[in-house]
Amino acid sequence: MPKHCFLGLLIMLLTTATETQPAHVSLKPQKVQFQSRNFHNILHWQPGNSLTSNGSVYFVQYKTYGQGQWKDKNDCWGTTALFCDLTKETLDPYEPYYGRVMMAWAGSYSEWTRTPRFTPWWETKLDPPVVTITRVNASLRVRLRPPELPHRNQTGKNTSMENYYNLVYRVSIINNSLEKEQKAYEGTQRAVEIQGLTPHCSYCVVAEMYQPMFDRRSPRSKERCVQIP
Amino acid sequence: MFSPLALLLTGSPPSYQLFTLVPSVMSVLRKSMSFSLMGTLAASCLLLVALWAQKADALPINSQCKLEAANFQQPYIVNRTFMLAKEASLADNNTDVRLIGEELFRGVKAKDQCYLMKQVLNFTLEDVLLPQSDRFQPYMQEVVPFLTKLSSHLSPCHISGDDQNIQKNVRQLKETVQKLGESGEIKAIGELDLLFMSLRNACV
Repeated sequence: MPKHCFLGLLIMLLTTATETQPAHVSLKPQKVQFQSRNFHNILHWQPGNSLTSNGSVYFVQYKTYGQGQWKDKNDCWGTTALFCDLTKETLDPYEPYYGRVMMAWAGSYSEWTRTPRFTPWWETKLDPPVVTITRVNASLRVRLRPPELPHRNQTGKNTSMENYYNLVYRVSIINNSLEKEQKAYEGTQRAVEIQGLTPHCSYCVVAEMYQPMFDRRSPRSKERCVQIP
Repeated sequence: MFSPLALLLTGSPPSYQLFTLVPSVMSVLRKSMSFSLMGTLAASCLLLVALWAQKADALPINSQCKLEAANFQQPYIVNRTFMLAKEASLADNNTDVRLIGEELFRGVKAKDQCYLMKQVLNFTLEDVLLPQSDRFQPYMQEVVPFLTKLSSHLSPCHISGDDQNIQKNVRQLKETVQKLGESGEIKAIGELDLLFMSLRNACV
């Protein structure tokens, strides 16, 4: 009698074990990777199999490279979305991180699919600075605002985008009547004054950020235009 | 009999070498003590050596553990180094073990960290990049000369005094790489970005 019980238990265990085993390799989420803009690090993935896109849920874990344990991301534990915001979990831009995703569908679980190693500082893409201009007589005051960094819970860690890179702002000015573009400023200041503009001309200002260390530039900002009276 | 001394005194070896040479000089001197003239000569030489040693001691110890910031500001080679690391890290499936991290710097004062990184750099060059130099082209052939250059800039970097902690941490890193075998070497290449950044943080 106890022997029977044991056998039954064993069979039960075995069947549940096979059930939780990966049913098909194709269930594994595909293209699991971080997409990072201005240090906002979002994990993205695709369903392993288009047939399973209905009724499938995903589980997300993350860790710093070198840690033994994966941590569950509670907000994305059983999510139906195809992305998961891991910004708060990957706040140190110099640290290498990993994320991984598993899918559950119709009682089966896929294996985990892991991202490549991800270092925000190296991989994040910077948006252009936001440009505002004010005209003072025949000169222009240009203010440049870099993209916002993710909010930090710890107080006192008041770091700026410029602290992470030796960021350089590049400001160009376009004389609309001549259709000529000129570099007006290159440097680290967020406030720039452009002088010596010709009266009755209209000008547009455009800016970008440059990372000298990688020789990378952000896309260009929206043009801001003004008429000199 | 005096040739080693003469060599020592006429040549101008870097000051740190004095320390290591003194014991051998002493043994040479001990044998010469039977001659009293030699004894006085030796004693005065010893005094001279001691004076030199004192002067060497007065030098800031880590002054040569320094790299120019410009070494880390060349976008082409920075990108190549990071791409090499990226390629290799894709081949590294061991996410639990990390070579260049907190543990490596544990118990090592900030002023000694450049010396620590020098050890790691030299180990990486000799025991990792050299045996793997056929792989990860074309990055490898560009990054190795760059790292070799950094290594030669750091060749005068020494510290005197207690470096037990440093040696222990470096030994641990070496053992980890050796234990993992070839995948340990791949791991080390995958961490060249960390090596680069740590060298910059510690030595600039």
